[in-house]
Amino acid sequence: MQQSSALKKSPLIPEVATIEKITQETPDVKTFRVVFDDPSVMDGFTYRSGQCAMVSLPGVGEAMISITASPTRKGFLEFSVKKAGMLTGALHEAEEGQKIGVRGPYGNSFPIESMYGKDLVFIGGGIGLAPLRSLINNVLDNRDKFGAVEIIYGARSPQDLVFKEEILENWSKVKGVKVHVTVDKGDDDWKGPVGFVPAFAEQVNPSPAGSIAITCGPPIMIKFVLQTLAKLKFTPEQIITTLEMKMKCGVGKCGRCNIGEKYVCVDGPVFTLAQLGNMPNEF
Amino acid sequence: MEHKVISRENLGKWLDTITREYDLIAPTLDDDVVLFKEVKSAARVLLDYNNTVLPAKDHFFPQTETVFRFKASAGQLAIEPEPPLARPRVLFGVRPCDLKSITLLDHVFDGDFQDGQYLDKRARTVLVGLGCNSPQPTCFCGSFGIEPGSSPAADLFFTEMEGGYLVNIQSEKGKEALQKGWSFFADPDAGQVKEASERAANAKKALKLSVDPKGVKEELDHFFESPYWDEISPKCLTCGICTYICPTCHCFDINDTSGQAGERFRCWDSCMFTDFTRMAGGHNPRPTKKERVRQRFLHKLRYFPDRYKEYACVGCGRCLQKCPVHMDITQIISDVKGGKLQNAAK
Ligand code: SF4
Ligand code: SF4
Ligand code: FES
Repeated sequence: MQQSSALKKSPLIPEVATIEKITQETPDVKTFRVVFDDPSVMDGFTYRSGQCAMVSLPGVGEAMISITASPTRKGFLEFSVKKAGMLTGALHEAEEGQKIGVRGPYGNSFPIESMYGKDLVFIGGGIGLAPLRSLINNVLDNRDKFGAVEIIYGARSPQDLVFKEEILENWSKVKGVKVHVTVDKGDDDWKGPVGFVPAFAEQVNPSPAGSIAITCGPPIMIKFVLQTLAKLKFTPEQIITTLEMKMKCGVGKCGRCNIGEKYVCVDGPVFTLAQLGNMPNEF
Repeated sequence: MEHKVISRENLGKWLDTITREYDLIAPTLDDDVVLFKEVKSAARVLLDYNNTVLPAKDHFFPQTETVFRFKASAGQLAIEPEPPLARPRVLFGVRPCDLKSITLLDHVFDGDFQDGQYLDKRARTVLVGLGCNSPQPTCFCGSFGIEPGSSPAADLFFTEMEGGYLVNIQSEKGKEALQKGWSFFADPDAGQVKEASERAANAKKALKLSVDPKGVKEELDHFFESPYWDEISPKCLTCGICTYICPTCHCFDINDTSGQAGERFRCWDSCMFTDFTRMAGGHNPRPTKKERVRQRFLHKLRYFPDRYKEYACVGCGRCLQKCPVHMDITQIISDVKGGKLQNAAK
């Protein structure tokens, strides 16, 4: 790989990484644990919860995927990927040991410092728990910096719940953490609550006093969760969510991911509801 | 500033000398179309032309460009970045509007996440500007503070005069290229310097079309929503030619050739196309002409200035000439200034 010293590297060139472990979360979601081949690249890859990376399979393409690992746990990255398009479909065919390309980290992140001392309410739906998981584990690894934690999570069916073991074996056992899980439609073995996330969140009834709510999930779920939170008297400043737009470069140059002046790849994906209120309704 | 003069005849000799060390890119006739292309001899350089059909951006941000080559095999992945330019280049004959547009592209490709491929080409290209003597009816560079007869963005700037050219030497890089054929140049007398500056002043006076973009960004900040966008968008064919020929449009797509070995390349893309923002699941935040026409104008007149403090239009007039349905950015600017968006909103 001979390069003249004058040539700065293109920001579009990924680093080579290896898929070390694949976990089948649900019929259409897999979590990939990924390690850069060059240890100095691995060490240099510092990121914050909420940031994303471009994951690529040369010959197929690239996709922007949120990093679901927590920066408090070093030496690897994790991506939870739902089979949707070409790239994610091909990733699902990948095997442990396969080489992929990764570039990043990209975007802003959850404003974790502004959450110190606050009670946190996480509301996730389906694969939307992936970006939240990075922040949740980050918070749990710094447990004494935060108040009470409520995790409200739901999926279409019991089979569609991601990170099941972690939710039940780890998170729910931490002091001051309450986990509430629902499914849209149960099955013979499901003993837990049944119902859509927004209505379920209303039943859980988290208090807005000294709280911040962070919600990720399908757009339609987010829409109704925002209504629920408004009903519970959370202000737009207290509500944080993430946006999705089509992305290609990830570095603010290819010109397609903007909502008004904001480029979601560099200025997002994390926004407070107050910020969203100031942006044009074009997403 | 240091000045030199060169005769028409010697200009050809200098350009031929240059080709020994530089790749020479200049306006030339390609199937009867005036384009910037690499030429091997000065004989192919076109000196009398209004402007090229495509702007010079292609030579910094090519229409299609390999980013890297890859080879994947069992458990292996090799990534080979595209090498830098083999030789430095002289880009001759760039008009002041297009020179300015390159500095606008610099905002995008320099700055955060510096684009090495663009910057390599930029650093190793001598920009030679050529002043306009007779602007076309569609030229409105002056509206954006651009002078048709001069440009600070060039390394060397040529002004045509009786029998030859006056040359402004505007950078070390430019001077170095000039020195490859130093003997072809002579020192100007005071009359020649005066003649050149008169020509530049006349070119400015010859601009027929003008608009005043002052305050347009601030006005547009309030009118993302306006029935005006519904009014102007239906005639657009979303052919994308306006973005293809625009010297400031920089949107691109990234794709791979398929297979185990191949390349990842980037290519120009257009906000006028449906697929530009359509997501894998089918959702499209800009589904109709209305959103896409609005995006094109707001990107140039509101979003770009918000980010980089300058409008992303240089008044080259190409979109005015080429749009099949006469969508006219000068009309849009006048409408914004005339309160049309506000009135439409009432
Ligand atoms: S050139 Fe004219 S018709 Fe074609 S996309 Fe642009 S505005 Fe629309
Ligand atoms: S918008 Fe039209 S006039 Fe302005 S720089 Fe682009 S092509 Fe030229
Ligand atoms: S993804 Fe290219 S600008 Fe945001």
